[in-house]
Amino acid sequence: MSYFRITLNRSAIGLPKRTRGVLAALGLHKRMQTVYHPVEAQFAGMIMKVKELVRVAEVDKKLTKWDLHAARKPDPGFYVESTVKRMEGQAPLKAIAAVSAQQKVVEGLTTEGGEEVRL
Amino acid sequence: MFGAFRVTNSLSGGLLWKIPWRLSPTQKYRQRQRLKAVDNVVETLSKALAKKGETLQALERWKAEMPTEAEMLPKDKYTMFDRKEKRYRKGIHKLPKWTRVSQRLNPPGY
Repeated sequence: MSYFRITLNRSAIGLPKRTRGVLAALGLHKRMQTVYHPVEAQFAGMIMKVKELVRVAEVDKKLTKWDLHAARKPDPGFYVESTVKRMEGQAPLKAIAAVSAQQKVVEGLTTEGGEEVRL
Repeated sequence: MFGAFRVTNSLSGGLLWKIPWRLSPTQKYRQRQRLKAVDNVVETLSKALAKKGETLQALERWKAEMPTEAEMLPKDKYTMFDRKEKRYRKGIHKLPKWTRVSQRLNPPGY
């Protein structure tokens, strides 16, 4: 199914009420707004009424507001070749436990809190 | 003659808005672009409807009656008929909202 992609290019300020009514019926409320309507005589007639104000193209797909937004987004200027593997939740804790197991307890010495001193 | 008290149109008459009698080359260029844009919309509509085998009375009438930008004479692109003007022609920019309305046809012979 194909659609008319209609973009309001010129404002309807100061134009007759009927012209502004047609724009409202098409769903166009501000400049550079884009709407999609199926290719039907009914919509073609409405576009004919405001042909001086709009830009029209026939397209196959209806784009959402977010698709349009993404299409308009400028190129960031870089790309990520490969993502770094994230650390697992348990891995750092295990490493700490392995290090503390290697440490020796110094006999006869205690900290002020009464804990063992490890080297 | 010079200085703050010189006699100019705006100083002696107050508010003065002057519309030049003819379009500048840039205005004429933009007028052509606008005419082409309208032709483009009409063509897109008629092609899209023709694919479905449909047509529209308003569309057929426009195509039958209205010349395209390429078919129009320069005289009709930039000037329009006015019965009150000398030689019955005035610049199209005197037409209210002239950049947003279609004014392509003039009475034959004028």
